[in-house]
Amino acid sequence: MNAKREIVRTQEVRKTYVMGDETVHALQGISLSIDAGEYISIMGPSGSGKSTFFNMIGGLDKPTSGEVYIDEVDIAQLGTYELAWLRCRKIGYIFQTFNLIPVMTALENVTLPMVFAGLDADEAREKGMSLLDLVGLGGRLLHKPAQMSGGQQQRVAIARALANDPAIILADEPTGNLDLKTGRAVIDLLTRLKAERGVTIITATHDMKMLAASDRVIWITDGQVSRIQSRGELTIQVGSIDGKEEA
Amino acid sequence: MRSPAKKRIFDDGSGASRRVVMPWGQTVRMCLANVKQRLGRSVLTFICIAVVVAFFSSSMVYQDFLVRLMASPDVHVQAVLERAGVFVHDVDSLARQRDQRIWLMTLSAVLCLVGITNTILMSVTERFREIGTLKCLGALDVFVVRLFLIENALIGGLASLLGAAVGCLLAVLQLGAVFEFSLLSWWFCAEGMFPGAAKSVAVGTFLTLLASIYPTYVAARMRPVDAMRSEV
Repeated sequence: MNAKREIVRTQEVRKTYVMGDETVHALQGISLSIDAGEYISIMGPSGSGKSTFFNMIGGLDKPTSGEVYIDEVDIAQLGTYELAWLRCRKIGYIFQTFNLIPVMTALENVTLPMVFAGLDADEAREKGMSLLDLVGLGGRLLHKPAQMSGGQQQRVAIARALANDPAIILADEPTGNLDLKTGRAVIDLLTRLKAERGVTIITATHDMKMLAASDRVIWITDGQVSRIQSRGELTIQVGSIDGKEEA
Repeated sequence: MRSPAKKRIFDDGSGASRRVVMPWGQTVRMCLANVKQRLGRSVLTFICIAVVVAFFSSSMVYQDFLVRLMASPDVHVQAVLERAGVFVHDVDSLARQRDQRIWLMTLSAVLCLVGITNTILMSVTERFREIGTLKCLGALDVFVVRLFLIENALIGGLASLLGAAVGCLLAVLQLGAVFEFSLLSWWFCAEGMFPGAAKSVAVGTFLTLLASIYPTYVAARMRPVDAMRSEV
C-alpha cells in the first residue's frame, strides 16, 4: 500500500471567469487524485477547461472554489514566494514551444533553475552536464537554442525541467511542434525518466502516441471529467491509430 | 478523509533550502546578453537618449561658458563679446534665454520619456514567453524587476555619457563659431564643462530609469502561465 503516494489531489475544483456580462464556468467540480510516478495525459477539445485544469495542478492558477493539493500542500494557501519556491523545486515545466532562454547556452538554460535554488556554480555545472548527458545532448553544452533543432531544444527543456529533481513534470503539448520521429523520441525519453527516476508526468496533449505511453488518460469535457481510461483499456484502441500513422 | 493540509510548502522533509535567489553576477550576465541579443532595439534606445542628453549638455555647457566669459575682467574678452552683440549687463535678455532653454529642455525630456517608454514596453511585451518561463522556473517578481532596471540603467548610463561628451564638443564649437576659439583655453573648457556634463548624465540616466518604471511593472506582473500562451 505504501508504494502508492498521492502527489496531486483535487477536490471539487471549480473555476469561474467573468467575461463582460457573461460568467464562464471553466471547471465544474473536478475531483481526482494522481499518484507519484504515474504518467497521466489530459485530453479534451479546446474550450473544455483542459488547459485551466492543467494549469491548476501545475500551480499556475488558483481555483475559484475547491482545493488543489500538490504534494499534500493546498496551493490556495501559498503566497507568491512559496509559489515561486514550489515552481522552482517541485514542478518541472515543459512547453509546446520549448521556451528556452534564447540568449543562454544549453548548459546555462539547464542550470538556471539550480541557480534560482541557490546551488553554487560548480555544483550546478556538474549537474547540468550530467542532465544533458542523460537526454543525449552531452556534446552540445555550449550551443544556443537557435543552433539546435526542435527535438534537441525540447530535450534541453526536459533536462531543464529535471534541474531541481522535481516530483512532477508538467508538459503542455510537448510533442505539438515536433515531427513524428522526434516526437516519439521525446515520449520515449519521458517514459524512461518516469521508469528510472519515478517522476510523475502530467501532460496535456492531442498526440495519440502520447496516449499509448500513459498510465491513465483523463478526458475533460465541459469542465468535468467525462472519462478516465487506464492503460489496459487504451492499448488496443490506440494501437490501431498508431498503426495508421505509421502506414 | 484527510484533514485539510496545515502543512507549509517548505516542510517537505527533504532539507532543501527555503531560498529562491538570483545572484547579481547572473543578473548582469543576463542583462548584457539581452542587450547584445536585441542590439537593434538597444541601439535605438541608446541613440534616443544620447541625442537628448547631447542637447542638454551642449546648451547647459554653452550657457555656463557664456556666464563665465561675461564675468571675465579681461578687456580682450569683453571686446569680443561686444563685437558679437552680447551685452554684458543685459540681465533681462539672459534670463529670457534661460527660460527658453528650460522650456525646450523640458519638452525634449518629455518626448524622450515617451519614446523610450514605448521602446522598452515593446521589448517587454515581445518577451512575454521568456518572462513567463523564468517565473515557471521559480523567478520572483523582483528578479524580473532587477533584470529590466539594470538592463535599462546600463543603456541609459552609457548613452548619457556619450551624449554628454558630444554635447560638450558641440558647445565648444558653437562658442568658437559665435565668438573666437582663442577665448577658450584648455583649462577654461575643462572647468566650464564639468558641471553641465555631470548634470546631463544624471538627468539622462534618471530619465531612462523613469521611462522604464511602467514597462518593468508590466513585466513583473506577467504571470507564469503566460509562458504557455502561443499567440503573440
